[in-house]
Amino acid sequence: MNSDLVIKDLRVSIEDKEILKGVNLTVRAGSIHAIMGPNGSGKSTLAYTLMGHPGYTVTGGEAWYQGQNILELEPDERSKLGLFLAFQYPVAIPGVTVANFLRAAINAHRAEEGKDPKETAIPMAQFRKQIREQMAALSIDEGFARRYLNEGFSGGEKKRVEILQMAMLQPGMAIMDETDSGLDIDALKIVSQGVNTLYEQHPDMGVLVITHYQRLLNYIKPHYVSVLMDGRIVREGGPELALELEEKGYDFIREEVASS
Amino acid sequence: MKTFPTLAELSDTTILDVSQAAGEPAWLADQRMAAWRFFAAAEPPFWRRTDLSKFKAEQIAAAIGASATSLVWERDPAGQGVVFAPLLQALHTHEAVIRQHLGTAIDSQRHKFVALNAALWQDGVFLYVPQNTAVELPLTAAFTMPAPGDAIVARNLIILDHGASVTFVEEYRSDAGAGQAFAAPITEMFLGNDATLRFVTVQTWGEDVYHIGAQKARVGRGATIEWSAVNLGARVQHVEAETALEGDGSRVEWVAATFGGGHQNLLTAPWLRHIGAKTEAHMDFKTVVKDQSYTTFDGMIKIEHQSRATVSRLEEHALHLTPKARSDSIPGLMIDTNDVARAGHASTSGEVDEEQLFYMRSRGIPRDDAIHLIVMGFFEPVLDRIPTEALRQRIAEMIEAKI
Repeated sequence: MNSDLVIKDLRVSIEDKEILKGVNLTVRAGSIHAIMGPNGSGKSTLAYTLMGHPGYTVTGGEAWYQGQNILELEPDERSKLGLFLAFQYPVAIPGVTVANFLRAAINAHRAEEGKDPKETAIPMAQFRKQIREQMAALSIDEGFARRYLNEGFSGGEKKRVEILQMAMLQPGMAIMDETDSGLDIDALKIVSQGVNTLYEQHPDMGVLVITHYQRLLNYIKPHYVSVLMDGRIVREGGPELALELEEKGYDFIREEVASS
Repeated sequence: MKTFPTLAELSDTTILDVSQAAGEPAWLADQRMAAWRFFAAAEPPFWRRTDLSKFKAEQIAAAIGASATSLVWERDPAGQGVVFAPLLQALHTHEAVIRQHLGTAIDSQRHKFVALNAALWQDGVFLYVPQNTAVELPLTAAFTMPAPGDAIVARNLIILDHGASVTFVEEYRSDAGAGQAFAAPITEMFLGNDATLRFVTVQTWGEDVYHIGAQKARVGRGATIEWSAVNLGARVQHVEAETALEGDGSRVEWVAATFGGGHQNLLTAPWLRHIGAKTEAHMDFKTVVKDQSYTTFDGMIKIEHQSRATVSRLEEHALHLTPKARSDSIPGLMIDTNDVARAGHASTSGEVDEEQLFYMRSRGIPRDDAIHLIVMGFFEPVLDRIPTEALRQRIAEMIEAKI
């Protein structure tokens, strides 16, 4: 089975407005791949569509991962296949603690058809040990385990808890949607370090880093950079492309695209 | 086996006979007779949102003298001078204090069913906690509907002296069994100065029970009531509940969880009266509806003329799991003073949030499981206040089963 994420001619609309106009992109297993683009280029649409948000209508194309066209799967099935989305705006779930939520997610991943969920559930002691270790690694106070998920969390806390979830679920392909937005430099360092540590521990993991700014890429170093503009990938290159964008802005690419 | 007259066949002689046979004091017999005469003469109340059209009084036995009350505690509080006993029994030992309080919080002529309770009550509990006495472990009065066709007419009288503190749980439950049954419980609560009452009322009747209840707390200076209500059972529920913050600096933390399913018709009418100075109220009412159920929140907050510097906050939220279910919210606010510190109200009603669902599903949690988590989380502020693990577990399982 192929652990690359292969996106072919992906077209996506929101309420009849076409946002992605034929995206072709391969995120290789074991690579860190940045997607950069200006506001409104379709970056978040790409992230949400890959995870299966019901508000986005796929009008054409395919996205292959682990031998399946994931566009045909439910969001929870995509997660079990190994896909993970770190949200730009994580949603609050009142009354559900971080620990209970994570346990439900882990147990959903461990569930097997035809088996009693109690049999496949993670043993409590093992879960506690894991969550304690991962929270310590991300400098998250232990008390957060008992807090309601994302309720009243600061921007930095939310992003850290996103990475905590990622570390606990150990996805094969992680999509980070504007993970740097709303973070101060200290929080950015902690979050980036969390991603890097996870990547070092799981060198087969693919990471798709979606960002507007080059700043994040100082901390999470990409192998590949693709530029998304007006619903299409318009440039591909190595890390130097991100630096070039930082220096010249998106306009120089826009002009190049217009003149070609 | 003794057969009882049905509710439709009762007469004043029955009431008087039973009272005399029990050797009740004359003042109580008089109370019962006065209430009975009101009941007999009064028209059934006109309630737009409570459907009594299928209620058959002629099929319900007024099980006079029967006892469905069981009192549960982990540690007998009698050693602390606490009285926790069936109300009828307590009459023999504490007649004066019972006479002084019984029927003084809730007017027996409030409506027909309150009068019925005042005339007929046999079940129910008397709880008295002396001055500056803290009862650590919760005290529970459990009422079990024995069979279809029965009635539980319970009367609970809760009195906390100055500085007393206690957790009192009243639980209404049925043994399974189809057929109509009827419950008309009344709970009157009196909190002396600086007393703390954690009041937990849990209604988990079987599916064909008509539950028409009234509850009221009178809260003294500096006293606090934490009132937690769970409404899961019954075919029809009509509960009028009132907190009167009479003393200066008195407070209420009032939470409720209501879950309607099937054809349930569940109404809660909480009244909150700010009377003293610097009284404070936080109300958080949660409702979930599905199937063809219909729930009503018919609330009223009254900030009386003599109150000052009131703080009052009402939250009420409804979650619809299926499109045909209905929940009405009729919050009212009457302010009769210019001196209010803060008064606020927030209300929402809608389906399960798609963004929450997507977020949870993106972590691998299947849709149905995600809805379970969301509903349990929605009720969590109420479940969190259930004082015993066994009861919390039982309620959580009932909610899970209903989802």
